[in-house]
Amino acid sequence: MTKSYSTYTEFFDQKKDIQTLIFAGKGGLGKTTLSAATSIRFSKERMTKTLVFSTDPQASLSDVFEKDVFGKGEIKLEDNLYVTEIDADREIEQYIQSVKQQIFDLYGLDKIPEEIEEYIESAKAEPAMHESATYDAMVSLVSRGEYKLFIFDMPPFGHGVRFVSTADVLDSWIHKITSMRQKAEEYDEVAAKFMGKTKQDIAEDAIMGELTEIRDRLNFFSSMLKDEDRTGFFMVLVPEQMAILDTERAITMFEHFGINISGIIVNQVYPPDLLEREDLSAFLKNKIIMQQKHLETIFERFGDKVLAVIPMYDREPKGIELLTKVAEDLFFWKRPD
Amino acid sequence: MSEIEEKTPNDEEQEEKGIRASLKRLIYGAAMHGMSRQALKSRMYFEHMFMLITLGDLMGIPILPPYYSLRILPYVVPQIKTWKRRMLKERDITDAFY
Repeated sequence: MTKSYSTYTEFFDQKKDIQTLIFAGKGGLGKTTLSAATSIRFSKERMTKTLVFSTDPQASLSDVFEKDVFGKGEIKLEDNLYVTEIDADREIEQYIQSVKQQIFDLYGLDKIPEEIEEYIESAKAEPAMHESATYDAMVSLVSRGEYKLFIFDMPPFGHGVRFVSTADVLDSWIHKITSMRQKAEEYDEVAAKFMGKTKQDIAEDAIMGELTEIRDRLNFFSSMLKDEDRTGFFMVLVPEQMAILDTERAITMFEHFGINISGIIVNQVYPPDLLEREDLSAFLKNKIIMQQKHLETIFERFGDKVLAVIPMYDREPKGIELLTKVAEDLFFWKRPD
Repeated sequence: MSEIEEKTPNDEEQEEKGIRASLKRLIYGAAMHGMSRQALKSRMYFEHMFMLITLGDLMGIPILPPYYSLRILPYVVPQIKTWKRRMLKERDITDAFY
């Protein structure tokens, strides 16, 4: 990997083909704020048609932009700036309804068999369901390609990695199925010549079609995450022991799946020049000293992966005006010598 | 009797076809029946494998994310019962004979 950027701005100067930005990290560290700030910068200064995407059930994008966009589709906020906040629970509910409807239509039933109903209900309760729906929606959006830049405010990334590995597993299964099918066909030929295509074959064709499409979607997602020219993958952290350890673990995990993170953004750092003030309370003083210590650790461990350090603000950075300020801090951060 | 003697070439063809068909059946019975039974058997295994990959989590073996399993589910509704029964069945020695 030839890496020749040391700040957020340099990153974008190097990556002219960038198409997707992903912000990952634990909850409450400011992923949404940084996604929003970046989107403002791109839509305003660089005239890039940008979509910010979130599936946070707590409607955090609505909060930072101070406008209710939750579950309302793609909403235009300003020129070139679009926001969509998906109500994943509702999407899943609709998806399940469509699956049930298909069963009704295929077999002319008036009630889903108990066993099937049970399976659907347990699949719905599966925690990965929410994430899968999110990634599937991401794939749909990006492959539709109506925007120049997609910014994803990711939910805490747990099963996501499994999604990436599933693509490979599924791929090898599809190969296996295809060759098995061919073999079965060879065998079958004698008998099948008299019967023609059976119902079974037609169902299998449909399933194969679905499997191939699923594989393609998973592949799309996984190659999107791995494409370093078109995708920026940022981790957000705060100068705290736990966040540092978590980030280290996450980076190792991503690397294991062939995903290199593009950079780290340190958020919520108390301005250290406050220390020079005489009237500084002991409480704040200790907090700042502790943060500075952790910041040193962060630079030691992650070194040039750190692309920006964002201060803690005296207010919550909400609304276009304050987010523009955050964007400036983000894009004009200077690396200390 | 005279009818036979007055066979048209067309009838001859028909008769030949009939003979060929019986011959085909004979050969099929003698040689191929086993093969196609084998084929049906491997088709069954294949089907079960198919189900396992797509709906493995019904059996506690997740391969596909359940979100996508649901897309497959409608196509296999009729097979689920027999498949589950077969997968969970205890094996015994008589299995070797079929």
